[in-house]
Amino acid sequence: MLLAAFDWHALFFTFFALLTCGFAVAVLFSNNIVHMAFYLILSLGASAGLFFLAGAEFVGAMQLMIYVGGTLVLLIFGVMLTAQSRFISMETRSGEWVMAIIVGGSLLFLLATAALRVEDWRSGHPNPAKVGLAESKTTTQIGMGFTGVRVDKLDPDVVGSPLVPGMSGYLLPFVIVSVHLLVVLVGAAYMARTKRRATSTGAAA
Amino acid sequence: MATQVDDARIIEFDVRTDEMLVNMGPQHPSTHGVLRLVLRTDGEIVSEVEPHIGYLHRCAEKIGENLTPRQWIPYTDRMDYLAGMNMNLGWSLCVEKLIEHELPEKAKHLRVIIAEMGRLASHLVGMGAYGLDLGTFSPFLYAFRERERILDLFEEACGARLTYSYLTPGGATADLPNGWLQKCEAFLDQFEPVIQEYHALLTTNAIFIKRTANIGVMSGEMAVDYGCTGPVLRGSGVDYDLRRDGEDRYTELYDGYAFEVIVQRDGHYPKDHDYPAVPKETVLGDCWHRFYVRMLEVVQAIDLVRQAIDRYSTASGDWGVPIKLTHKLPKGEVYLETEAPRGQMGFYLVSDGSSIPWRVRARSSCFCNLSVTSELCRGCLIADVPAIVGSLDIVMGEIDR
Amino acid sequence: MAEFFHTTCHLPAPLAYLLAAIIACVLIIHVVAVGALIFIWLERKVSGRIQDRLGPTRVGGAFGWLQTLADGIKLIAKEDITPKDADAMLFKLAPYVGFAASYCAYIALPFSDGWVAQHMNTAVFFILAVLGIEVFSPILAGYSSGSKWSLFGAMREAAQVVSYEVPLGMCVVVPCMICGTLNLVTIGNMQAGSFTNWLAFNDPFTFIIACVYFTCATASVNRAPFDLAEAESELVAGFHTEYSGLRWSFFFMAEYGSMFLVSGLAAILFFGGWHGPIPIAEPIAGVLVVVVEPLVNIGRYLLGFIARDIGKVTDGAVAIQIANLMGCLNFLLKGTIGVTVMMWVRWTLPRLRIDQVMTTCLKYCVPIAAFGFVGALFWQVFEVPTLNDLPSPIGINRSVAHESWVVEADREREIRAQAVTPSPADLPGESVGSFDSAAVDSLVMKGGAR
Repeated sequence: MLLAAFDWHALFFTFFALLTCGFAVAVLFSNNIVHMAFYLILSLGASAGLFFLAGAEFVGAMQLMIYVGGTLVLLIFGVMLTAQSRFISMETRSGEWVMAIIVGGSLLFLLATAALRVEDWRSGHPNPAKVGLAESKTTTQIGMGFTGVRVDKLDPDVVGSPLVPGMSGYLLPFVIVSVHLLVVLVGAAYMARTKRRATSTGAAA
Repeated sequence: MATQVDDARIIEFDVRTDEMLVNMGPQHPSTHGVLRLVLRTDGEIVSEVEPHIGYLHRCAEKIGENLTPRQWIPYTDRMDYLAGMNMNLGWSLCVEKLIEHELPEKAKHLRVIIAEMGRLASHLVGMGAYGLDLGTFSPFLYAFRERERILDLFEEACGARLTYSYLTPGGATADLPNGWLQKCEAFLDQFEPVIQEYHALLTTNAIFIKRTANIGVMSGEMAVDYGCTGPVLRGSGVDYDLRRDGEDRYTELYDGYAFEVIVQRDGHYPKDHDYPAVPKETVLGDCWHRFYVRMLEVVQAIDLVRQAIDRYSTASGDWGVPIKLTHKLPKGEVYLETEAPRGQMGFYLVSDGSSIPWRVRARSSCFCNLSVTSELCRGCLIADVPAIVGSLDIVMGEIDR
Repeated sequence: MAEFFHTTCHLPAPLAYLLAAIIACVLIIHVVAVGALIFIWLERKVSGRIQDRLGPTRVGGAFGWLQTLADGIKLIAKEDITPKDADAMLFKLAPYVGFAASYCAYIALPFSDGWVAQHMNTAVFFILAVLGIEVFSPILAGYSSGSKWSLFGAMREAAQVVSYEVPLGMCVVVPCMICGTLNLVTIGNMQAGSFTNWLAFNDPFTFIIACVYFTCATASVNRAPFDLAEAESELVAGFHTEYSGLRWSFFFMAEYGSMFLVSGLAAILFFGGWHGPIPIAEPIAGVLVVVVEPLVNIGRYLLGFIARDIGKVTDGAVAIQIANLMGCLNFLLKGTIGVTVMMWVRWTLPRLRIDQVMTTCLKYCVPIAAFGFVGALFWQVFEVPTLNDLPSPIGINRSVAHESWVVEADREREIRAQAVTPSPADLPGESVGSFDSAAVDSLVMKGGAR
């Protein structure tokens, strides 16, 4: 059947990839900073769609929560609280364009070369028709990795205590990173406060 | 212009943002008609509030200089349109003072019944609308459910539900119809327990207390300085009520009535009714106290109406026949203030001897009460502006006249 | 559903997925749109009764049940106005962002055992993430309207988001911790039986957590007393001040959609999901199947021409589906009760101030949620007896969730050992390597009760 032969997976992949890239380009070509943020949200959301397509729900939801949510904070604090006038617009100068093309282009080149070197990725997908919208089964492993058990690195020969020494997961880095983030948050909150309220006269009109 | 930063809450919002100039009104859901407040805000913090009035000005005073006093009665209805009866009363007493008219006993008690019922109706709106200002809708409809019944009674007495023109110089346009007193008593019996509902929904509600306690605190001195009157003044702890402290011509209406001025004395409100306790978070003179005074006055008004009904039914004389439409006014000038629901409503009348006054002037209580807005709102949050303005319970019709 | 079309009806896999997707989409959009229609009507009736009036009585005959539809037609007919000062593109797009997010979150919400558009292992997390996107709608709307009141609404929404998301997330974690999974279907199924098995009654701490969750959920859908972004007495109408017509109504469809969503999530996480308070669904389904069976047989006969294998649907499957249907009704009822409670709260309480919302969420809800979380954790760890009378495999799983990684590890090792030797089911050429990790993962998941 024609429908069966058609590579739906590739179609959806292309769709989301085009959305991601298209809105990323729209971020570049937009002058209005709020529009940029909006396009960025759409671009990041579409890349979350790519993750869902690959069956990586957890990463996809993470993408939505962290990156899209992060853009929200960016939008609020970066734009609303600092903008001197509403609907602020930014003009990109030609020098900046050249710089951006050099930096971005070289990064793209590097990534593309690196990607094309992977043997498996060049041969195409083994059987696209077989790949459905698979259910992801990765959450447990990720969660257990964070709490101290690397399920994928268990020693199959030892019964009872399957933990391999040195492979006891990411509990310590995880905790260190979270405490670090907390410190950063507190510091940011402290620094965001201006000290102007010490005297009894405040802002002028 | 300097921003007052004594308020400790400001520190919590200590991120510098651009100042904004915002128009609150004249078309805004919570400005009680056509009040326009110009807010200067820094984020959510209001640094300055400037009330602009005049959107409802109808030249009532000038019209009063072209009509006889009785003809002007309908215009007084339209001043404080939520308490038209009390406006009628104020003007009637003022004219009676000029022509030195003495009322029969029965007419006096009739006036007390009507004035206190008017106070009930007005405070009910004040309470319900205050709920709206704070974002709860139901008390408003509960209040209107009872107010409708008062308006039904008024309609039976005078034929109108909003602009009554019932009390006139000389007395009232008609006596109360047969069976009115029984209906009124039945209403009071039904209404009194309902007040507990209002207390549950608003007065003692935790969120309500949070929104009103320690907000818009006005000291007694400040209230006196600005000329605030009525519940706004008494909410700040100033013991002043014209029904007790006013002119003889007005206080004689209340002669012999058992009533206590609703004001906090030595940290306590009058104890003759079952009121909910004053929460600890509140400060004398804040929005909560202004609201509370109004609620207690509702209970008191019920009490006064009951007393007045007893006296009225045994009193001698008639309801007071109105003076002639073209009654010649003696030469002279008079000024008389009465205790309207929103404060002291004064009328000033100068006569050159004809039947039409030479000069008419009304002293609005809401005008003075509104004037404290900019002082009270300095440094508050935007959400507090409706809370403070609502607690002043203004009626633009009275301010602009 | 896709499997059903694929295996039973012999449709090609892509078409089966497409068909399943379309059916799911249509069903969900009806839950959102028709749900909004019903809930807006319900809101009017509920507020009417609370305020001692009747509410709508005329449109559509009794109880004014078509009132919302009439209003919808009015809204469609209204002029779609974009203010001169507005940022036209964002202004026009903003309502759809909220609606799309609210709609999208339903993908992972199961309505009954297995009745979910997309089985997700991380459904709870997905719903939270998507609900987080919904706040863009008011913020963009407020910012792009070109009105100062709208901007205030947007700023308030932003401030509110950062306050409620923390305690909301903490509350959602607790049922996931007790059940050891983020899968909503599994969480729901772990509460089968009588109402004592519901997670809210698992221990006192989860009950507290359920209350905190409901508070934060009310804040997350912008309902009173947390409706600061549209506070009508302060900000005229907040972020949607400048909107009219259909665009305006999209905000409300999103709002009512999210209301049901968070209520449904509460039902699944804390109140037994699709399981009724008393386990009578299966006996009733057993009785009903006798009635339904002849109809099913006729259906089989008719549909047999289209797809022969429909005849193979077993009687047991029919009974299960009937039980599921009743479970779905249960779930809808629970969600509706949650929505009604939100309405009740809205028409009773005054609105909080923005700093009070932040205080409530961050100073009270977060510590209470943390306390509840730790309490529930210790309850599990010390195996304090609970009321639940679950059959042993599930019951044990629930009570020993803290040890699940050991169980998991054993099982994993076992399965992994089997998987390295290719099973005869694997056709040559179908799998690339000798080690199919997806197959292992699915085996791992099927191996347990989770």
